[in-house]
Amino acid sequence: MPDKADDVRLVERIADGDAEALGELYDRYGRVAFGVLYRMLPGPEAAEEVAQDAFHAIWRQAHSYRADRGSVRTWLLAICRNAAIDWRRTRGKRTEREVTIEAAADLVSDARVDERVVSLIRAEHVRAVVRELPVEQRQVLALAFWGGYTQSEIAARTNTPLGTVKSRVRLAMNKLRERLEEER
Amino acid sequence: MRSERHPTEDLPAYGLGSLDETEREIIAAHVERCAQCTGDLAQFEDALYEAAAVGAVEIEPPRDLRTRIVLRHRGARSLGGPTWTSRIAQAFIHPVPLAVPAVLALLLVVSFAVVGMNRQQIDTYERALAGVASGRVVALAPTSANPDARAAVVIPDQGQPYLVVRLPPPPSGKTWEAWVLKPGPKAVAAGTSTAGDVFVLLLTTPLGAGDGVAITLEPVAGSQQPTTQPVLLVDRT
Repeated sequence: MPDKADDVRLVERIADGDAEALGELYDRYGRVAFGVLYRMLPGPEAAEEVAQDAFHAIWRQAHSYRADRGSVRTWLLAICRNAAIDWRRTRGKRTEREVTIEAAADLVSDARVDERVVSLIRAEHVRAVVRELPVEQRQVLALAFWGGYTQSEIAARTNTPLGTVKSRVRLAMNKLRERLEEER
Repeated sequence: MRSERHPTEDLPAYGLGSLDETEREIIAAHVERCAQCTGDLAQFEDALYEAAAVGAVEIEPPRDLRTRIVLRHRGARSLGGPTWTSRIAQAFIHPVPLAVPAVLALLLVVSFAVVGMNRQQIDTYERALAGVASGRVVALAPTSANPDARAAVVIPDQGQPYLVVRLPPPPSGKTWEAWVLKPGPKAVAAGTSTAGDVFVLLLTTPLGAGDGVAITLEPVAGSQQPTTQPVLLVDRT
Protein backbone atom coordinates (compact mmCIF):
# COMPACT_ATOMS: atom_id res chain seq x y z
CA MET A 1 0.00 0.00 0.00
CA PRO A 2 1.47 3.39 -0.95
CA ASP A 3 2.24 5.70 1.93
CA LYS A 4 0.00 8.79 1.82
CA ALA A 5 2.82 11.17 2.69
CA ASP A 6 4.93 9.64 -0.12
CA ASP A 7 2.02 10.17 -2.49
CA VAL A 8 1.84 13.84 -1.56
CA ARG A 9 5.59 14.26 -2.06
CA LEU A 10 5.26 12.69 -5.51
CA VAL A 11 2.56 15.18 -6.45
CA GLU A 12 4.76 18.02 -5.21
CA ARG A 13 7.59 16.78 -7.42
CA ILE A 14 5.21 16.62 -10.37
CA ALA A 15 4.16 20.21 -9.66
CA ASP A 16 7.86 21.10 -9.86
CA GLY A 17 8.03 19.65 -13.37
CA ASP A 18 9.53 16.23 -12.55
CA ALA A 19 8.31 13.83 -15.23
CA GLU A 20 9.95 10.86 -13.48
CA ALA A 21 7.70 11.51 -10.48
CA LEU A 22 4.74 11.26 -12.86
CA GLY A 23 6.08 7.86 -13.87
CA GLU A 24 6.34 6.81 -10.23
CA LEU A 25 2.76 7.90 -9.61
CA TYR A 26 1.78 5.84 -12.65
CA ASP A 27 3.61 2.84 -11.15
CA ARG A 28 1.42 3.14 -8.08
CA TYR A 29 -1.95 3.90 -9.60
CA GLY A 30 -1.70 3.40 -13.36
CA ARG A 31 -3.13 -0.10 -13.30
CA VAL A 32 -6.18 0.73 -11.19
CA ALA A 33 -6.72 3.95 -13.17
CA PHE A 34 -6.66 1.97 -16.39
CA GLY A 35 -9.09 -0.54 -14.85
CA VAL A 36 -11.50 2.27 -13.94
CA LEU A 37 -11.26 3.75 -17.43
CA TYR A 38 -11.68 0.37 -19.05
CA ARG A 39 -14.93 -0.12 -17.15
CA MET A 40 -16.24 3.31 -18.14
CA LEU A 41 -15.26 3.30 -21.80
CA PRO A 42 -16.15 1.13 -24.78
CA GLY A 43 -12.76 -0.51 -25.32
CA PRO A 44 -9.03 -0.63 -24.62
CA GLU A 45 -8.15 1.99 -27.23
CA ALA A 46 -10.41 4.57 -25.65
CA ALA A 47 -9.10 3.67 -22.19
CA GLU A 48 -5.54 4.10 -23.42
CA GLU A 49 -6.26 7.45 -25.02
CA VAL A 50 -8.10 8.78 -21.98
CA ALA A 51 -5.41 7.47 -19.61
CA GLN A 52 -2.83 9.60 -21.42
CA ASP A 53 -5.11 12.63 -21.28
CA ALA A 54 -5.81 12.03 -17.59
CA PHE A 55 -2.13 11.83 -16.68
CA HIS A 56 -1.57 15.00 -18.65
CA ALA A 57 -4.33 16.62 -16.56
CA ILE A 58 -2.60 15.32 -13.41
CA TRP A 59 0.60 16.95 -14.65
CA ARG A 60 -1.16 20.26 -15.23
CA GLN A 61 -3.19 20.24 -12.03
CA ALA A 62 -0.54 18.93 -9.62
CA HIS A 63 0.14 22.39 -8.20
CA SER A 64 -3.51 22.73 -7.14
CA TYR A 65 -3.72 19.41 -5.27
CA ARG A 66 -4.67 19.92 -1.61
CA ALA A 67 -4.24 17.08 0.86
CA ASP A 68 -7.08 18.38 3.05
CA ARG A 69 -9.48 17.70 0.16
CA GLY A 70 -8.78 13.98 -0.03
CA SER A 71 -6.10 11.42 -0.73
CA VAL A 72 -3.95 11.39 -3.85
CA ARG A 73 -5.68 8.17 -4.86
CA THR A 74 -9.08 9.87 -4.74
CA TRP A 75 -7.79 12.95 -6.57
CA LEU A 76 -6.17 10.88 -9.30
CA LEU A 77 -9.12 8.56 -9.84
CA ALA A 78 -11.51 11.53 -9.89
CA ILE A 79 -9.43 13.11 -12.67
CA CYS A 80 -9.54 9.84 -14.61
CA ARG A 81 -13.29 9.49 -14.13
CA ASN A 82 -13.95 13.06 -15.22
CA ALA A 83 -11.76 12.56 -18.29
CA ALA A 84 -13.76 9.45 -19.18
CA ILE A 85 -17.07 11.27 -18.76
CA ASP A 86 -15.77 14.11 -20.95
CA TRP A 87 -14.64 11.63 -23.59
CA ARG A 88 -18.03 9.98 -23.69
CA ARG A 89 -19.84 13.29 -23.95
CA THR A 90 -17.67 14.64 -26.72
CA ARG A 91 -16.30 11.61 -28.57
CA GLY A 92 -18.29 8.57 -27.66
CA LYS A 93 -21.28 7.48 -29.65
CA ARG A 94 -24.57 7.11 -27.90
CA THR A 95 -24.59 3.38 -28.54
CA GLU A 96 -21.17 3.03 -26.91
CA ARG A 97 -22.41 4.89 -23.87
CA GLU A 98 -25.42 2.62 -23.58
CA VAL A 99 -23.26 -0.48 -23.81
CA THR A 100 -21.00 0.87 -21.11
CA ILE A 101 -23.89 1.59 -18.80
CA GLU A 102 -25.25 -1.90 -19.18
CA ALA A 103 -21.91 -3.14 -17.88
CA ALA A 104 -22.12 -0.86 -14.84
CA ALA A 105 -24.17 -3.26 -12.80
CA ASP A 106 -22.61 -2.57 -9.43
CA LEU A 107 -20.17 -0.17 -7.86
CA VAL A 108 -17.79 -2.95 -6.82
CA SER A 109 -16.83 -6.13 -8.62
CA ASP A 110 -15.32 -9.52 -7.79
CA ALA A 111 -12.26 -8.89 -9.93
CA ARG A 112 -8.90 -9.22 -8.24
CA VAL A 113 -7.83 -5.86 -6.83
CA ASP A 114 -4.45 -4.24 -7.27
CA GLU A 115 -2.92 -4.81 -3.85
CA ARG A 116 -0.67 -1.83 -4.30
CA VAL A 117 -3.82 0.30 -4.03
CA VAL A 118 -6.24 -1.67 -1.81
CA SER A 119 -5.26 -4.61 0.39
CA LEU A 120 -7.18 -7.87 -0.08
CA ILE A 121 -8.66 -7.69 3.40
CA ARG A 122 -9.77 -4.12 2.90
CA ALA A 123 -11.25 -4.96 -0.50
CA GLU A 124 -13.36 -7.69 1.07
CA HIS A 125 -14.59 -5.21 3.64
CA VAL A 126 -15.45 -2.65 0.96
CA ARG A 127 -17.37 -5.27 -1.03
CA ALA A 128 -19.29 -6.30 2.07
CA VAL A 129 -20.20 -2.71 2.89
CA VAL A 130 -21.43 -2.00 -0.64
CA ARG A 131 -23.40 -5.24 -0.81
CA GLU A 132 -25.15 -4.46 2.44
CA LEU A 133 -26.82 -1.56 0.64
CA PRO A 134 -30.32 -2.17 -0.77
CA VAL A 135 -30.17 -3.05 -4.45
CA GLU A 136 -31.92 0.20 -5.45
CA GLN A 137 -29.21 2.25 -3.73
CA ARG A 138 -26.45 0.20 -5.35
CA GLN A 139 -28.07 0.77 -8.72
CA VAL A 140 -28.10 4.57 -8.41
CA LEU A 141 -24.49 4.57 -7.22
CA ALA A 142 -23.39 2.46 -10.17
CA LEU A 143 -25.35 4.49 -12.72
CA ALA A 144 -24.02 7.75 -11.34
CA PHE A 145 -20.43 6.64 -10.87
CA TRP A 146 -19.72 4.39 -13.83
CA GLY A 147 -22.33 5.85 -16.13
CA GLY A 148 -21.73 9.49 -15.29
CA TYR A 149 -25.47 10.10 -15.11
CA THR A 150 -26.97 12.90 -13.04
CA GLN A 151 -29.78 12.26 -10.59
CA SER A 152 -32.30 13.74 -13.05
CA GLU A 153 -31.05 11.42 -15.81
CA ILE A 154 -31.23 8.42 -13.51
CA ALA A 155 -34.78 9.34 -12.52
CA ALA A 156 -35.81 9.53 -16.17
CA ARG A 157 -33.93 6.39 -17.11
CA THR A 158 -35.31 4.24 -14.31
CA ASN A 159 -38.75 5.84 -14.31
CA THR A 160 -38.35 6.76 -10.65
CA PRO A 161 -39.40 10.03 -8.97
CA LEU A 162 -36.46 12.42 -8.69
CA GLY A 163 -36.99 12.78 -4.95
CA THR A 164 -36.64 9.03 -4.53
CA VAL A 165 -33.40 8.97 -6.52
CA LYS A 166 -31.99 11.80 -4.41
CA SER A 167 -32.94 10.01 -1.25
CA ARG A 168 -31.25 6.79 -2.43
CA VAL A 169 -28.06 8.63 -3.35
CA ARG A 170 -27.95 10.38 0.00
CA LEU A 171 -28.56 7.23 2.02
CA ALA A 172 -26.06 5.18 0.03
CA MET A 173 -23.29 7.77 0.20
CA ASN A 174 -23.82 8.37 3.91
CA LYS A 175 -23.63 4.66 4.58
CA LEU A 176 -20.46 4.25 2.51
CA ARG A 177 -18.80 7.12 4.30
CA GLU A 178 -19.89 5.98 7.73
CA ARG A 179 -18.79 2.36 7.31
CA LEU A 180 -15.58 2.93 5.40
CA GLU A 181 -14.37 5.92 7.38
CA GLU A 182 -14.99 4.39 10.79
CA GLU A 183 -12.54 1.57 10.15
CA ARG A 184 -9.97 3.47 8.18
CA MET B 1 -20.51 31.80 6.70
CA ARG B 2 -22.48 32.98 9.73
CA SER B 3 -25.93 32.67 8.21
CA GLU B 4 -25.29 30.28 5.30
CA ARG B 5 -26.66 26.79 5.70
CA HIS B 6 -24.47 23.81 4.97
CA PRO B 7 -25.72 21.81 1.97
CA THR B 8 -25.94 18.63 4.02
CA GLU B 9 -28.63 17.13 1.81
CA ASP B 10 -26.85 17.61 -1.47
CA LEU B 11 -23.21 17.18 -0.46
CA PRO B 12 -23.23 13.37 -0.93
CA ALA B 13 -24.61 13.75 -4.47
CA TYR B 14 -22.02 16.45 -5.17
CA GLY B 15 -19.29 14.02 -4.12
CA LEU B 16 -20.79 11.42 -6.43
CA GLY B 17 -20.86 13.94 -9.27
CA SER B 18 -24.57 13.39 -9.88
CA LEU B 19 -25.92 16.91 -9.46
CA ASP B 20 -27.15 18.97 -12.38
CA GLU B 21 -24.89 21.83 -13.41
CA THR B 22 -26.71 24.62 -11.57
CA GLU B 23 -26.85 22.69 -8.30
CA ARG B 24 -23.22 21.68 -8.74
CA GLU B 25 -22.06 25.28 -9.08
CA ILE B 26 -23.92 26.35 -5.95
CA ILE B 27 -22.42 23.57 -3.84
CA ALA B 28 -18.95 24.12 -5.32
CA ALA B 29 -19.06 27.78 -4.33
CA HIS B 30 -20.06 26.86 -0.79
CA VAL B 31 -17.43 24.13 -0.41
CA GLU B 32 -14.75 26.51 -1.60
CA ARG B 33 -15.23 28.69 1.47
CA CYS B 34 -16.41 26.17 4.06
CA ALA B 35 -13.81 24.08 5.88
CA GLN B 36 -16.42 21.80 7.44
CA CYS B 37 -17.99 20.87 4.12
CA THR B 38 -14.55 20.50 2.56
CA GLY B 39 -13.72 17.92 5.21
CA ASP B 40 -17.06 16.13 4.84
CA LEU B 41 -16.70 16.06 1.07
CA ALA B 42 -13.21 14.59 1.34
CA GLN B 43 -14.62 11.72 3.42
CA PHE B 44 -17.46 11.06 0.96
CA GLU B 45 -15.05 11.01 -1.96
CA ASP B 46 -12.40 8.91 -0.24
CA ALA B 47 -15.05 6.27 0.57
CA LEU B 48 -16.52 6.38 -2.94
CA TYR B 49 -13.22 6.12 -4.79
CA GLU B 50 -11.98 3.37 -2.52
CA ALA B 51 -15.06 1.42 -3.57
CA ALA B 52 -14.37 2.32 -7.19
CA ALA B 53 -10.84 0.94 -6.86
CA VAL B 54 -12.47 -2.33 -5.82
CA GLY B 55 -14.82 -2.05 -8.80
CA ALA B 56 -12.13 -1.46 -11.42
CA VAL B 57 -11.69 -4.06 -14.13
CA GLU B 58 -8.65 -6.25 -13.65
CA ILE B 59 -6.62 -5.56 -16.75
CA GLU B 60 -3.01 -4.88 -17.57
CA PRO B 61 -2.45 -1.50 -19.30
CA PRO B 62 -0.38 -1.49 -22.51
CA ARG B 63 3.28 -2.05 -21.67
CA ASP B 64 4.51 1.15 -23.25
CA LEU B 65 1.83 3.42 -21.76
CA ARG B 66 4.06 4.51 -18.89
CA THR B 67 6.91 5.33 -21.26
CA ARG B 68 4.64 7.44 -23.45
CA ILE B 69 3.24 9.35 -20.49
CA VAL B 70 6.69 10.13 -19.10
CA LEU B 71 8.15 10.97 -22.51
CA ARG B 72 5.37 13.41 -23.20
CA HIS B 73 6.24 15.40 -20.09
CA ARG B 74 9.99 15.03 -19.80
CA GLY B 75 11.44 18.51 -20.04
CA ALA B 76 8.05 20.22 -20.02
CA ARG B 77 7.10 22.23 -16.99
CA SER B 78 3.99 21.69 -14.95
CA LEU B 79 1.78 24.76 -14.86
CA GLY B 80 2.58 25.72 -11.28
CA GLY B 81 6.03 27.20 -11.72
CA PRO B 82 6.67 30.87 -12.27
CA THR B 83 9.32 30.41 -14.94
CA TRP B 84 6.97 29.08 -17.56
CA THR B 85 4.71 32.07 -17.79
CA SER B 86 7.13 34.86 -17.09
CA ARG B 87 9.79 33.78 -19.50
CA ILE B 88 7.51 32.86 -22.35
CA ALA B 89 5.38 35.95 -21.92
CA GLN B 90 8.48 38.11 -22.09
CA ALA B 91 9.75 36.34 -25.15
CA PHE B 92 6.54 36.88 -27.03
CA ILE B 93 5.69 40.34 -25.80
CA HIS B 94 9.17 41.74 -26.54
CA PRO B 95 10.62 39.64 -29.32
CA VAL B 96 13.98 40.77 -30.66
CA PRO B 97 15.06 40.97 -34.30
CA LEU B 98 16.56 37.90 -35.82
CA ALA B 99 20.12 37.10 -34.87
CA VAL B 100 20.22 34.26 -37.34
CA PRO B 101 18.68 34.45 -40.81
CA ALA B 102 15.48 32.57 -41.03
CA VAL B 103 16.12 29.59 -43.19
CA LEU B 104 13.30 27.72 -44.73
CA ALA B 105 12.52 24.56 -42.96
CA LEU B 106 14.35 21.49 -43.87
CA LEU B 107 11.45 19.20 -44.07
CA LEU B 108 12.15 15.65 -43.51
CA VAL B 109 10.03 12.78 -43.03
CA VAL B 110 7.94 11.01 -43.95
CA SER B 111 8.08 7.45 -44.17
CA PHE B 112 4.99 7.65 -42.07
CA ALA B 113 3.16 10.47 -43.78
CA VAL B 114 0.70 8.11 -45.32
CA VAL B 115 -1.42 8.02 -42.25
CA GLY B 116 -4.67 9.89 -42.22
CA MET B 117 -6.66 9.03 -39.18
CA ASN B 118 -6.09 10.84 -35.92
CA ARG B 119 -5.50 7.64 -33.96
CA GLN B 120 -2.88 6.55 -36.45
CA GLN B 121 -1.22 9.94 -36.17
CA ILE B 122 -1.00 9.53 -32.42
CA ASP B 123 0.55 6.09 -32.82
CA THR B 124 2.97 7.33 -35.46
CA TYR B 125 4.06 10.23 -33.31
CA GLU B 126 4.62 8.03 -30.28
CA ARG B 127 6.44 5.38 -32.28
CA ALA B 128 8.70 8.05 -33.78
CA LEU B 129 9.69 9.21 -30.30
CA ALA B 130 9.97 5.73 -28.89
CA GLY B 131 12.36 4.93 -31.72
CA VAL B 132 14.88 7.60 -30.77
CA ALA B 133 18.02 5.56 -30.21
CA SER B 134 20.22 7.98 -28.27
CA GLY B 135 20.17 11.48 -26.91
CA ARG B 136 17.57 13.41 -24.97
CA VAL B 137 13.88 13.90 -25.77
CA VAL B 138 12.20 16.98 -24.32
CA ALA B 139 8.45 17.41 -24.74
CA LEU B 140 6.87 20.74 -25.65
CA ALA B 141 3.63 21.52 -23.85
CA PRO B 142 0.53 22.26 -25.95
CA THR B 143 -1.25 25.51 -25.20
CA SER B 144 -4.95 26.25 -25.22
CA ALA B 145 -4.59 27.31 -28.88
CA ASN B 146 -4.37 23.63 -29.87
CA PRO B 147 -4.56 21.20 -26.94
CA ASP B 148 -4.21 18.19 -29.25
CA ALA B 149 -0.88 19.37 -30.67
CA ARG B 150 2.23 17.41 -29.75
CA ALA B 151 5.93 18.03 -30.27
CA ALA B 152 9.21 17.03 -28.72
CA VAL B 153 12.76 18.23 -29.24
CA VAL B 154 15.18 15.42 -29.93
CA ILE B 155 18.72 16.35 -28.93
CA PRO B 156 20.92 13.58 -30.35
CA ASP B 157 24.29 12.70 -28.83
CA GLN B 158 25.76 13.74 -32.16
CA GLY B 159 24.28 15.98 -34.80
CA GLN B 160 21.65 18.63 -35.07
CA PRO B 161 18.63 18.83 -32.75
CA TYR B 162 15.26 18.41 -34.40
CA LEU B 163 11.57 18.51 -33.59
CA VAL B 164 9.10 15.66 -34.01
CA VAL B 165 5.76 17.41 -34.43
CA ARG B 166 2.12 16.41 -34.62
CA LEU B 167 0.08 19.33 -35.92
CA PRO B 168 -2.54 19.74 -38.64
CA PRO B 169 -1.40 21.33 -41.91
CA PRO B 170 -1.23 25.13 -41.53
CA PRO B 171 -3.93 27.22 -43.28
CA SER B 172 -3.20 28.41 -46.79
CA GLY B 173 -0.55 31.16 -46.81
CA LYS B 174 0.72 30.18 -43.38
CA THR B 175 3.54 28.07 -41.98
CA TRP B 176 4.53 26.52 -38.68
CA GLU B 177 7.65 28.26 -37.43
CA ALA B 178 10.01 27.01 -34.75
CA TRP B 179 11.78 29.37 -32.34
CA VAL B 180 14.72 28.90 -30.05
CA LEU B 181 14.18 30.90 -26.87
CA LYS B 182 17.48 32.34 -25.70
CA PRO B 183 18.09 33.88 -22.27
CA GLY B 184 17.29 37.50 -22.18
CA PRO B 185 14.74 36.58 -23.32
CA LYS B 186 14.81 36.58 -27.08
CA ALA B 187 13.18 34.33 -29.65
CA VAL B 188 15.32 33.28 -32.60
CA ALA B 189 13.73 31.81 -35.72
CA ALA B 190 14.72 28.17 -36.14
CA GLY B 191 12.92 26.86 -39.20
CA THR B 192 9.52 26.61 -40.84
CA SER B 193 7.32 23.86 -42.17
CA THR B 194 4.10 23.77 -44.14
CA ALA B 195 3.72 20.05 -43.50
CA GLY B 196 0.93 18.60 -41.42
CA ASP B 197 0.08 15.45 -39.47
CA VAL B 198 3.37 14.04 -38.17
CA PHE B 199 6.58 15.62 -39.42
CA VAL B 200 10.15 16.40 -38.49
CA LEU B 201 11.64 19.88 -38.42
CA LEU B 202 15.39 20.38 -38.13
CA LEU B 203 16.31 23.29 -35.88
CA THR B 204 18.34 25.70 -37.95
CA THR B 205 19.47 27.70 -34.91
CA PRO B 206 21.91 26.17 -32.42
CA LEU B 207 20.24 25.04 -29.24
CA GLY B 208 22.20 26.06 -26.18
CA ALA B 209 21.97 24.49 -22.73
CA GLY B 210 18.76 25.62 -21.09
CA ASP B 211 17.32 27.28 -24.20
CA GLY B 212 13.58 27.00 -24.74
CA VAL B 213 11.73 26.05 -27.92
CA ALA B 214 8.36 27.18 -29.24
CA ILE B 215 6.25 26.78 -32.38
CA THR B 216 3.96 29.50 -33.73
CA LEU B 217 1.80 29.98 -36.82
CA GLU B 218 3.35 32.59 -39.15
CA PRO B 219 3.03 33.92 -42.73
CA VAL B 220 4.32 31.38 -45.23
CA ALA B 221 7.70 33.11 -45.72
CA GLY B 222 8.36 33.00 -42.02
CA SER B 223 8.71 35.90 -39.62
CA GLN B 224 11.67 37.65 -38.11
CA GLN B 225 9.94 37.62 -34.78
CA PRO B 226 6.88 35.74 -33.48
CA THR B 227 3.62 37.38 -34.45
CA THR B 228 1.26 34.92 -32.73
CA GLN B 229 1.13 33.11 -29.42
CA PRO B 230 2.82 29.69 -29.41
CA VAL B 231 0.85 26.52 -30.00
CA LEU B 232 3.59 24.44 -28.37
CA LEU B 233 6.47 25.41 -26.13
CA VAL B 234 8.97 24.39 -23.52
CA ASP B 235 10.84 27.07 -21.66
CA ARG B 236 13.95 24.99 -20.97
CA THR B 237 15.50 22.02 -22.76
